[in-house]
Amino acid sequence: MNALIAIGILAGSALVAFAIRKRIPVVGPLSAAALISAIAALVIAPADATATVLDLPFRLTALGRLGGVVLLATLVLLVIDVWIGEPAYNFFPTALGIGAVIVAVLSLAVPLAIYATLLLGLLIPVGSFVFQVHRNRSVEAALRHFAFVALGGSLGLAALALAAGLPKDQPAMTFVLLVVVLVIAFALKLAAIPFHTHAALLVSEAPAAALALYFGVLVPLTFLAFAQILTLSGLLPAIVQVHKVQDLLLGIGLVSAVGGALLASGAGDLRRLVAYSVISNLGASLVGIGTLSGPGIVGAIAIVLVTGVCATQQLLAAGALERASTPEDARPSAARAPLAAAAFIAGAAGMIGLPPLVGFPGHFFVELIAYAFSGWVGTALVGATVLLLVAQLRAGMALFAAPIETWRVEPRPVAGAIGAIIFAALLLGGVAPDVLLRPIAAFADEFLRALRPL
Amino acid sequence: MILLAVIALATLAANGAAQLRNAAAAFLAVSLTATWIAAGSASPGQLAVAACAGLVSAALLYVAAGDGAYGEEPGWRLWAATIVAAAATPAAFASFRTVSGDAPALPLFGADSAGVTVQVAAFWLLSSGIAILLTARSAVRMSVGALLMITGVQLLVRLVSGSQLTYTLLFSWLEVVVALVGAFLVVNERAAREA
Repeated sequence: MNALIAIGILAGSALVAFAIRKRIPVVGPLSAAALISAIAALVIAPADATATVLDLPFRLTALGRLGGVVLLATLVLLVIDVWIGEPAYNFFPTALGIGAVIVAVLSLAVPLAIYATLLLGLLIPVGSFVFQVHRNRSVEAALRHFAFVALGGSLGLAALALAAGLPKDQPAMTFVLLVVVLVIAFALKLAAIPFHTHAALLVSEAPAAALALYFGVLVPLTFLAFAQILTLSGLLPAIVQVHKVQDLLLGIGLVSAVGGALLASGAGDLRRLVAYSVISNLGASLVGIGTLSGPGIVGAIAIVLVTGVCATQQLLAAGALERASTPEDARPSAARAPLAAAAFIAGAAGMIGLPPLVGFPGHFFVELIAYAFSGWVGTALVGATVLLLVAQLRAGMALFAAPIETWRVEPRPVAGAIGAIIFAALLLGGVAPDVLLRPIAAFADEFLRALRPL
Repeated sequence: MILLAVIALATLAANGAAQLRNAAAAFLAVSLTATWIAAGSASPGQLAVAACAGLVSAALLYVAAGDGAYGEEPGWRLWAATIVAAAATPAAFASFRTVSGDAPALPLFGADSAGVTVQVAAFWLLSSGIAILLTARSAVRMSVGALLMITGVQLLVRLVSGSQLTYTLLFSWLEVVVALVGAFLVVNERAAREA
């Protein structure tokens, strides 16, 4: 099975990359080549291929393949940025390890194993990348991240283990409570409001590429794992039976969507703006899943995948703008790095879901179904999108406030080039949205069948 | 019943230890007792893997401490965590236990066949871990809290049908990775404080 080959390539390369991590001219291309090989293995994999390792079933669905390709491609761009633009030797084994986790999470077919593997992936960057040891606050940021991951991870694993271990003739309320615990556990890991404090601290302390790894790759992976686990765990009927669970999902989603947009509109720097925009879009996605409808699920997953890519684009651009700034500058400016600033603006268009980019269908589906569900929910989501639009516009205007004659093109426009590649991909996706939406629709069909088993 | 008392006392010792090395030793006692409790539902090979994971995790924390004096004074957090765990364990057991018509026979020593001992021990460890994590100030208690929670999860996984060998390997790895990350944070936190 190609997914197992991809996991083998990435895990093996991670070990090699760890051994030679300080030789950046070697480890950079090696990491990119390993990731591209893994992408190729996934692209040529037959649909719904299955395999078993140590009695653990693997199944690479169409969504698993799509998610794997998108997230691994994002990792390739991150590796190139770190290799050329922002050298950090410990990034490469981390990225490859997370690559192996991505393929494993998206191809495993047992909820407990998916969740445990996801937890490993969320722990990898804590130990190797997310902070600079000479700064007390960055240690605190890493610690808080560790605590949230351990807490949410253990709670979710306990809920899944209980769900799998309890006989089916247990009181229905037991399973309802387990779903509630599972939803809260994922809210902790997704940094949904009000569980976002660890992410807020990370934003100001971690390097831009590390943030992109977290918000652009790991957070979307966590959301995909959430949707898959709900489908496979057999807990979905409990949500249908008790509407309060659905209300909880919608409530967390709405609070995150509106709260994230409000925080983004008041954000004082580019990193915070991006992080809160991601939280807001994840909230909209939770609302999409919470509607328990085909269009809602399709829109939710489309939003998550596009948001991850756009967050990567914007965070890398923000990092390049910060590095180009001088101590005299009050804030990052396009005058110092115009190509990175352009990439930031292009990422903003994708983040908001502007047509004709591929982010549009996801936002359209979720907001449409939210209106069908309840006028208030739909209005709140549209309000959140408008707030995000205003926040991103403000940031863009502040970036381009300097007169054009003072602009100097950056000598190594890595973030600008990566931004251009991502923008082209989003545009192509907008021209042919079926490539993105069809595999997600196949998953939505599975989700709905699991919701009301015959 | 005696094993439940042992695991409760060992958890309290880990929670109340002011030095990381003592907390690591207490965690080893927790881990070995949990392995003993799970003995009825696991093969000797699986028990050996689980025990090794506990030993390695405790050793990682012990080495990360650097010296015998390093740690975090729990103060009022010990009592807060104990009270929360004592209140949450019966609540969790009442909500999530396996409901059956038969009254389970609880042996004085060892685990029962209905899984009551395993569930009570797991809920106690999870509640204690949550309480410690929520009140911790530094990597020392956070690592101990996280490891207690993962040990609780390992006990619950024993009641799941499926390949127990795979789950044992997976969760043992997870325990060691949690300990490794915790130890890494302990070392770096100390370096940041001393800088």
